[in-house]
Amino acid sequence: MKYLELTVGAVLVYNFVLSRFLGICPFLGVSKRVSTAMGMSGAVVFVMTLASAITAAIYRYLLHFTLGGVTYDLGFLQVLLFILVIAALVQIIEIVLQKLSPALYQALGIYLPLITTNCAVLGVATLNAKANYSVLDATIFGCFSGVGFALAILLFSSLREKLELATPPKAFEGTPIALVTAGILAMAFCGFAGLC
Amino acid sequence: MNKSSRKVMSFTGGIHPVSAGKKLTNTHAVHTAPLLERYTVLVQENAGKAPEVIIKPGDKVLKYQLLAKASGFVSANLHSPTSGEVAGIIEVPGPMGVPALAIDIRSDGEDRETDPFEPIPDWRSAEPQLLLDRVADAGLVGMGGASFPTRVKLTIPPGKKVDTLILNGAECEPYLSADHRLMLESPCRVLEGAAIIGHILGIDKIYIGIEINKHDAIAELERFSEDYGIKIIPLQVQYPQGSEKQLIHAIVNRVVPPGGLPADVGCVVQNVGTAAAVSDAVTLGIPLVERIVTVSGKVLKDPGNWKLRIGTPVIKAIEFCGGVTDEPSKLILGGPMMGFAQNSYEVPISKNTSGVLLFSRRRALNYRSGSCIRCGRCVQGCPMGLCTCLLATAIEGGRIDLAEQNHVMDCLECGSCAYVCPAHRPLVQTLRLAKAEIRRQRAAAAKANSGK
Amino acid sequence: MSGLIVSALVMGVLALVLGTAIGIFVKFFKVKSDPRVELVLELLPGANCGGCGCAGCADFAKAVASGKLQPNRCPVSSREQVNAIAFALGVDPGEGFARRAVVCCSGDKYQTQMRKFYNGAIDCAAANMIGGGPKGCRYGCIGMGNCAHACPFGAIEVINSLAVVHQELCVGCGKCVTACPRGVIKLVPANSSAHVYCNSPEKGATKRSLCHGGCIGCGKCERAYPDQFTKTGFLASVNYEAEKLPGAEEIEAIKCPTGALASEAGHYESEKNAGKGENK
Repeated sequence: MKYLELTVGAVLVYNFVLSRFLGICPFLGVSKRVSTAMGMSGAVVFVMTLASAITAAIYRYLLHFTLGGVTYDLGFLQVLLFILVIAALVQIIEIVLQKLSPALYQALGIYLPLITTNCAVLGVATLNAKANYSVLDATIFGCFSGVGFALAILLFSSLREKLELATPPKAFEGTPIALVTAGILAMAFCGFAGLC
Repeated sequence: MNKSSRKVMSFTGGIHPVSAGKKLTNTHAVHTAPLLERYTVLVQENAGKAPEVIIKPGDKVLKYQLLAKASGFVSANLHSPTSGEVAGIIEVPGPMGVPALAIDIRSDGEDRETDPFEPIPDWRSAEPQLLLDRVADAGLVGMGGASFPTRVKLTIPPGKKVDTLILNGAECEPYLSADHRLMLESPCRVLEGAAIIGHILGIDKIYIGIEINKHDAIAELERFSEDYGIKIIPLQVQYPQGSEKQLIHAIVNRVVPPGGLPADVGCVVQNVGTAAAVSDAVTLGIPLVERIVTVSGKVLKDPGNWKLRIGTPVIKAIEFCGGVTDEPSKLILGGPMMGFAQNSYEVPISKNTSGVLLFSRRRALNYRSGSCIRCGRCVQGCPMGLCTCLLATAIEGGRIDLAEQNHVMDCLECGSCAYVCPAHRPLVQTLRLAKAEIRRQRAAAAKANSGK
Repeated sequence: MSGLIVSALVMGVLALVLGTAIGIFVKFFKVKSDPRVELVLELLPGANCGGCGCAGCADFAKAVASGKLQPNRCPVSSREQVNAIAFALGVDPGEGFARRAVVCCSGDKYQTQMRKFYNGAIDCAAANMIGGGPKGCRYGCIGMGNCAHACPFGAIEVINSLAVVHQELCVGCGKCVTACPRGVIKLVPANSSAHVYCNSPEKGATKRSLCHGGCIGCGKCERAYPDQFTKTGFLASVNYEAEKLPGAEEIEAIKCPTGALASEAGHYESEKNAGKGENK
């Protein structure tokens, strides 16, 4: 039951993009094509899951520990360490992707290294720390937060593929109409509030 | 049989266009047109390759004499509509809007015939191949509109088996009544032609599908149909009932796969006009040089059905009907739904011209098209189940690949979507554009592949 | 003090572990990339117009860096930009080969005969498929602006149902040439300034009955300047290989009777002002 709450909450109720407004940058940047959006979601799910697991472990066992009778509280290092881990993970993904799928690497462009500074990833790590989740809980929460991000960006990219064919007024063409759509999508997700 | 208890067949989708136009001509018996002084016979009457012209300017020709010889498998012979002299091979306005080559024949007024073929009255004991050769020699093409050489349609590709012949007497296009009059006035020619085609294919399951608004034609055909072992199937009045795939669906409840041919589901579909021409070619030994054409429209003084020789300029057909009462603003060859608007009255009648329609300014509204409002009426109306509005939007947005993924190639160009569109969007034209572009891309890809 | 050491230690160990991990991945997934491609890409205009024949600037950069193409193949870059790329790579920039597009038709809606009406899609290719659209001539510009939509530089304007190229904006990428279903648009040397604005090979009389602006093949230009003009059938054309290309002076001297032969500026001016008198 606890895990159901955790997952449904992460995907729908507290959707990272549409409820918490984290990770907006890639949400707008790489949502022009469903295929690119899928690549991005895959990368983000991977980074968020791993980052959650590692950062939770670091938070639990590395930032608060007792060594030789002295208790060390390194809480002030939290953000620094989290970013370090995330940056390394993103670097690894970038290297792997460039080798395995150069087309996707091209399509993601600058947004791939920018996962490092993607607030969604740092956000999930910080939220894990704040809620003091166990490593398993944090991993599940991180993974499904990533799934929530994937859901949002996939929905949005499908909408944008349709929007591309529409003929809005000149002033609304491109990003403006995309932002309006994102707003309406976020409102739709408000409907899940109170589910858990 | 009690008419009201009969099951009336139909297909899914489709529309019900205003059918009042049929009343203009469907009670008028077919008149035979007087001999003209000049005929301009299009060299390419058939779909596929143009036949090879075998006469020279200055040659004397007789009626039924061969003018052009089929230049390949998908090609058809062309015969002279009258006797006279070949004045030249000239460019005339073609039915597709671009000038086309035509043989200019000056009639000598005598209409002397030559006997090109030996009649085969006892075709039942004849070899099918002999009959098929006759069909090819007589220059028969599909007279419903596509003008595909009949020989090709009756040659079943190896590996395919056909068990059903369907004759298309639906005549679902508004205004047209040429097939209706043909079935009413010479039912035995149609039935005999159907039986001959059945004999060629070795099929004994033969159906003739007719829309129930032609109940007199149904009754007339049923009087004789038992002698030939042919079943008459009444069909619902619904457009495009006369389209191959829809007819097959309505009558034998088989669905032709996307990109497939009727032969894939064991069917062959022929027009009733083609069947009558087959009968003439086999039993009388005359080639195809004339056909029944509906000349109609409210602006005509006396609309009617005319037996016109190929090469008759449209303006003459209009003159036969007593001319016009009001200035026409649109001339269409074929039916109003699938026919082509013309910009010249000099266009000649060809083997596939089923109608000559004239519309007044009021009937041919000069509308402006608006934006798609996603009402979905085109989706309901599409007999092929395509999402026409979204296809058109995708094509307009330059996403032809998206349209291809969504089966734009299955479009029949029947015009149902454009007819029901409340925003008057040129849907068929847009889809046709994409189809042409996709065909071009595929041809280029095939060429690139064969190059490698 | 020990807190400081411990935190430094924690950071150091973590950084070492992660750094090693990255190092291992780099070892297994290394992709060789040419830094020169990036360099060329930076120097290119980034219009992705495809005028060079490649699928965008990135492809062109690759081709240039590998020596397959010369930098001057980019029609958008100025001479200086081309030289900069050539200098950066240490290669030959290639001979100057600048082109411009010209819509070879003067049949605007006042000059050419318009048919009764056209109700269809506003798209040249679609109109061309059904009897050639609203204009009488089947060789000329249809005037629904497929070329103008295709132009990435906004260099084509449709005036009075006739596409006109703004020479100062055109870079000669050739996108309009492929967009035009009729093949009315031609690429000409950039330094030429006078063209025959007609594309129809039909007989002079036929042409005249359809369009007042078409070349009737009188041969006046060819007689006056045989080196610079050639007449084939009923259509004159500028000989773009000639040593001295015709300019305003020659146009003035020839005085083309239909105005099909005109200078770029004169053609634009006359289209801009066409029909204005009628309105008054």
